[in-house]
Amino acid sequence: MEIFDNLLLGFSVAFRPDVLIYAFLGCLVGTLVGMLPGIGPLAGISILLPVTFGLDATKAIVMLAGIYYGSQYGGSTTSILMRIPGEAASVMTCIDGYAMARKGRAGAALAIAAVGSFVAGTFGVIMLTLVAPPLANFALRFGPPEYTALLVLGLVFLAYMSTTSLARTLIMACVGLLLGCIGIDVMSGHFRYAFDIKELGDGIGLVPVAVGLFGLGEILSTPSKTVVGKVVPPRFAELMPSRQEWRQSVMPVARGSVLGFVVGIVPGSAHIIASFLSYAVEKRVSKTPEEFGKGAVAGVAGPESANNAASTGAFVPMLALGLPTGPVTAVLMAALLIHGVPPGPQLVTEHPQVFWGFIASMYVGNLMLLALNLPLVGLFVRVLQIPYAYLYPLIIMFCIVGVYLVNNSIVDVWIMLIMGLVGYALRKFHFDPAPLVLGLVIAPTFELSLRQSLVMSSGNWTIFFTRPIAGVLFAICGVLLALSALSWLRQKDWRERLAETETGKK
Amino acid sequence: MDRRRFVAGSAATAATAATAAALAAPPAWSQEVYPSRPVSFINPFPPGGAADVVARPLAAVLEPILKQPMVIETKAGAAGQVGAQFAAAAKPDGYTLLIHIVSISGFAEVDRLYGRQVKFTNDDFIPIARFIADPMVLVVNDQQPFKTLKEFTDAAKAKTNDLIFSSSGLHGALHLPMALFLKAAGVDMKHLPTNGGGPALTAILGNNSQVLCSSIAAANVHLRSGKLRALACFGAQRAPALPDVPTMKELGYNIEFYLWVGMFAPKATPENVITTMRQASKQAASDDKFVRAMKNLGQDVAYLDQPDFKAFWDADAKRVQEAVRTIGKV
Repeated sequence: MEIFDNLLLGFSVAFRPDVLIYAFLGCLVGTLVGMLPGIGPLAGISILLPVTFGLDATKAIVMLAGIYYGSQYGGSTTSILMRIPGEAASVMTCIDGYAMARKGRAGAALAIAAVGSFVAGTFGVIMLTLVAPPLANFALRFGPPEYTALLVLGLVFLAYMSTTSLARTLIMACVGLLLGCIGIDVMSGHFRYAFDIKELGDGIGLVPVAVGLFGLGEILSTPSKTVVGKVVPPRFAELMPSRQEWRQSVMPVARGSVLGFVVGIVPGSAHIIASFLSYAVEKRVSKTPEEFGKGAVAGVAGPESANNAASTGAFVPMLALGLPTGPVTAVLMAALLIHGVPPGPQLVTEHPQVFWGFIASMYVGNLMLLALNLPLVGLFVRVLQIPYAYLYPLIIMFCIVGVYLVNNSIVDVWIMLIMGLVGYALRKFHFDPAPLVLGLVIAPTFELSLRQSLVMSSGNWTIFFTRPIAGVLFAICGVLLALSALSWLRQKDWRERLAETETGKK
Repeated sequence: MDRRRFVAGSAATAATAATAAALAAPPAWSQEVYPSRPVSFINPFPPGGAADVVARPLAAVLEPILKQPMVIETKAGAAGQVGAQFAAAAKPDGYTLLIHIVSISGFAEVDRLYGRQVKFTNDDFIPIARFIADPMVLVVNDQQPFKTLKEFTDAAKAKTNDLIFSSSGLHGALHLPMALFLKAAGVDMKHLPTNGGGPALTAILGNNSQVLCSSIAAANVHLRSGKLRALACFGAQRAPALPDVPTMKELGYNIEFYLWVGMFAPKATPENVITTMRQASKQAASDDKFVRAMKNLGQDVAYLDQPDFKAFWDADAKRVQEAVRTIGKV
């Protein structure tokens, strides 16, 4: 019952009109920041950090956290409408969300993304309320070997992600992994493939690559396509998902929420991995995997829920242990510190009104975001009516400005432009850029945690099997590989069926 | 007294100044009056990092003093080298300044070590002021039996159990003091480099590493909760936050190491600009709001004006370079 008293205290703080206003401001800014390509929550929070110096700690954290989880809502908008990931974690939404939009179901995709985000966000907060401290301690047991195992699992799933052939997926993934090797080798300090360009020291940024490959590549390939002409403005009734679409998204949202939260609490993992995993899982369990890439509802609902649950899950180690799990939580932690509220095991006892007020504000904030995003669906869909001749130059401008702002780096802009050309070529030759992005995300972390593990064990590879969590994860990998080998042997692979239908058409 | 009034005030002055600057065409005397437009501070680390948490409160108190907006520009990359190189190459007009930490002295040495072209040296910068200097502290996690540094060094020498130390990265601010200590103590230990202060701390809390050199500010929460235990402090005197922890010097090691944050200008910046910034920094460092913000971070303001900072920096650079050479090429 203590938890209800605590929550009551929290809501009494969260419902104070002044706190409500700051929660709303945070959610609003977050939605906007998420929508603009390039400018992610990190830039949004750090720009607004000095503004909060005049506020008390509760209002400050409520507003800044609102920006963070709000950006996960906004990130899906441009992905669905224009195939531009507004935020790195929305890369997966680009694929099926944009495909849905091409089929005239943009409104439905946006609504499902918003509702899925709401469910996942709320689920994340409930879990945060109930199990934060024990979970945080469990998450700490995720050392380098466990992390290596998690990423291997990610790579195994990768094979299921392809919307084209397996060979094409693996080629793309390898290119991604190679691109991920660029930069300073953390273990030895050597520059690799950097050609003495110091900006490449930290490797190739994810944002310029994702924006270039998906967004710019799509825009560049438009002139060579038969222009569809005018997009028919959908009637309001058509904006909302149909009953069948709702039904198709229930389970993906549920699975995405759980998966996202679990991946989110692991220190150091990014919510982008959560959305990748969710997409792969949905495709694996789907009865109609061939629909993925062509506008599958589950391909939007799952990843969008997963990245929201993950962004909430990331608060667990931050609040309970005082450990930042990524750059965004690091800034939030710095904000709390500057306000004299050190996050960590003592936070709940020393500053209960901050802690519970913050938790309660997230329940409120998720509701606000739903209320903010659903009515906007109709408005956003109208963006598609702007003629390409006006819309696309504007988007390119936003992409360039946004990508530049991430690190104030002109090199990032060049990377984005080059990746735009690469994305164009990939589209022409029907390669799917998503595995490339996943490879780029995984490579540096995978290499680092693999080598860290081997430092810990003095080069003994058994470390990956003797530690329980890592052992279990590797066992799952083994089972998955065995299952797919089995189905391949039985010659009942859906990919083959797909290939047959494709060749049949040609 | 009231932070809200203070920030509102500073925002108002900033806004007025910005409007004024925008409305009036640059007058003829604009070259002489500094600053006549917004000043950029380069933060060479990701937001929330050691330089950022000092730079933001500092910028907020500098604005009303200099009556111009102070902009923090994040140019992170290569452990702080990208931002520093950018500032070194910036036009020396006082409108691009650098906020950097102890590791600024190491880049040239690391580049020499690997036979790379040296991108900049300490001579490319004019030190303006130092704001904080947090002595490093050597900590072990609660699963280790060691209560004193001697117990720890003895065990590490005997190699009874495989001890690992984590760091923020090769040649990073958390690696250098450990390297100095290991050399002085004649101990060899496995190194687990990570990609930042946060992951280094996560590693030791999860017992994936057992030892860490951390800043007091970062470790303090965990020291208080008993998850970490401090064995020795790298300051010249005992730290006020940890009165019971002996210094390295008390224990017979002649090592000092601080995680300090200072302000720099590119070389050839005009003298009048430096003077203005020195005076403003002095005023800002004693400002109540700045002191309180630092206190909240677990830091005491350790302000040094240019001459003292220069002397400190020269001595500190020697320590850093020695540490880099000690680590050598991996």
